[in-house]
Amino acid sequence: MKKIAGRTVGIAFIVVMIAFTLYPVAYTVFGSLKSNLELQTGGGFFPTEWKFSNYAEAFQKAEFLKYTGNSVLLSAMTMLLSLVTSSMAGYVVSRHDFAGKKALMAAYLSVMFVALGPIVLYPQYMLMKELGLTGNLFGLALVLTGGQASNIFLIMGFIKSVPKELDESALMDGAGYFRIYRSILLPLIRPILGVIALFSFRLAWNDYITSLVFSIPNPGIKPLTVAVVGLRYSANAAAELHIMTAGAAIAIVPILIVYLFANRQFINGLTAGAVKG
Amino acid sequence: MKPSSKKMFRNGQLYAMLLPNLVLFVGLTVYPIVWSLRYMLYDYDGIHAAKFTGMDNFVRLFSRDDVYWDSLLNTLVYACGKLALIIPLAFLLAMILNVPFKGRTAIQVIVFSPTIMSSAVMALMFYLLLNVYNGDLNRFLLYVGIIDQPINWLGPSLAMLSVVLVAVWGGVGNYMVYFLSGLQTIPKDIYESADLEGATYWQRLFKITIPMLGPVLRIVLMLAILAAFQDIQSIMVMTEGGPLGQTQVVFLYLYQLFFPVSASASNHPEIGYGAAASVVTGLILGIITAIYLLVSKKLDNIF
Repeated sequence: MKKIAGRTVGIAFIVVMIAFTLYPVAYTVFGSLKSNLELQTGGGFFPTEWKFSNYAEAFQKAEFLKYTGNSVLLSAMTMLLSLVTSSMAGYVVSRHDFAGKKALMAAYLSVMFVALGPIVLYPQYMLMKELGLTGNLFGLALVLTGGQASNIFLIMGFIKSVPKELDESALMDGAGYFRIYRSILLPLIRPILGVIALFSFRLAWNDYITSLVFSIPNPGIKPLTVAVVGLRYSANAAAELHIMTAGAAIAIVPILIVYLFANRQFINGLTAGAVKG
Repeated sequence: MKPSSKKMFRNGQLYAMLLPNLVLFVGLTVYPIVWSLRYMLYDYDGIHAAKFTGMDNFVRLFSRDDVYWDSLLNTLVYACGKLALIIPLAFLLAMILNVPFKGRTAIQVIVFSPTIMSSAVMALMFYLLLNVYNGDLNRFLLYVGIIDQPINWLGPSLAMLSVVLVAVWGGVGNYMVYFLSGLQTIPKDIYESADLEGATYWQRLFKITIPMLGPVLRIVLMLAILAAFQDIQSIMVMTEGGPLGQTQVVFLYLYQLFFPVSASASNHPEIGYGAAASVVTGLILGIITAIYLLVSKKLDNIF
């Protein structure tokens, strides 16, 4: 009897949590297909008339096609930059000794536990301005890539499981370090690279504050998140509710689809990073 | 002994591979910290020449900037509220999902999904949902008859609760996964022997599960504290720190010193002052982290 009661409470709790989780997402997806009037005056859970034209309007009139393209490009660049820079550096620090290595590792470790957040945004912006890298997507991708201390530790943890004999025998055969990294290690550490690819793509796709600041001098490089939230502050926000909601759906649905196919990696990557970090 | 040219070439390759990450790390993490340490001593608005003022910024911060200390207090309230909800909820979810049953993975995938979405975009959706007059939530509550007056979710008395709930929505999946992976490290035979001894469910929970989770719990709590301080994207979109500074958290205040918005008190950037306030905030956070580590170590020794 007690067991049944406990189970019922458990099931009720899970149902409430699922409803709590899904409701805002459902609101966004179904809301993106409602007419502006229906969004403003309310109505049912589902749209009375499924207005796919909202998307056409968002893509064309509100230039969301351009912003989506910006987001795709920005996320792809951030992902590539993260993969290349962190895997090369991760290989060097895991397998080799060099002057100042201890200090470097200490620095990586200490910034992981300091919440820097928006504090570093202004000096980062000034530095990029000096280098002429503000107002373009490449500069923003560089900033979003950053030092990646946590990714370096992820890779280090993974490389530990690769037998050292593999590199040593290649070294004997006269292979250069870059070749060893390229032909021996990279294929072996593919699983962790997959995690880093997903995490860095998500970071760039979802970023708001850094992108907001870096697109001030050139609104043409705005990614989706900045464009969608920006509608809230536009002069006729009320008239654009349906575009806002459609834009929000465009911003969350693709990444959710990626997640549904790769949810294992997302979840495993999270725990690998927390335990090893 | 002179290194052979081959050896030199090899070492050169190593440095070349390290360099890209090193440049990004130094330029985007180390340099900004050093930069803040320098500009905290200046009066600088980003336009006119910076003027050296020594400790003036700190005097102002400690003697007459009530907004800063209020925002620090708000951050603590926010962090405590978020942790008080998110940790027990995540733990409960993990406990339930730790037993195999049909549909377990689907539930995990669903509850974790908010962590995949842009918090800024979803905050905008919550802003629409929580709207007083035509927000979906009030409309639903009125329709069902739970309330007879629309509730001002983002008004002075409830705004903090609302942003905390949105943070719980966005983060509970993260902590659930941490706890789940922690639960899976507990050896099954401990439970089996406890069952033989006739241990009750609650005894198993308090005598085995929670103590065994100690190390995981320690890391998770620290991550949660740091994350709570950094949560500004959704607050920025939902309330901009309002109404009347009710949800003004410290990082948002710092951000507004560097990048003023029309709604903020001052309309010109206060770079030097922002740098000083940033350094103090960084130190306060460091102290909180250190205290936390010390206390949790002590607790470990007791249990």
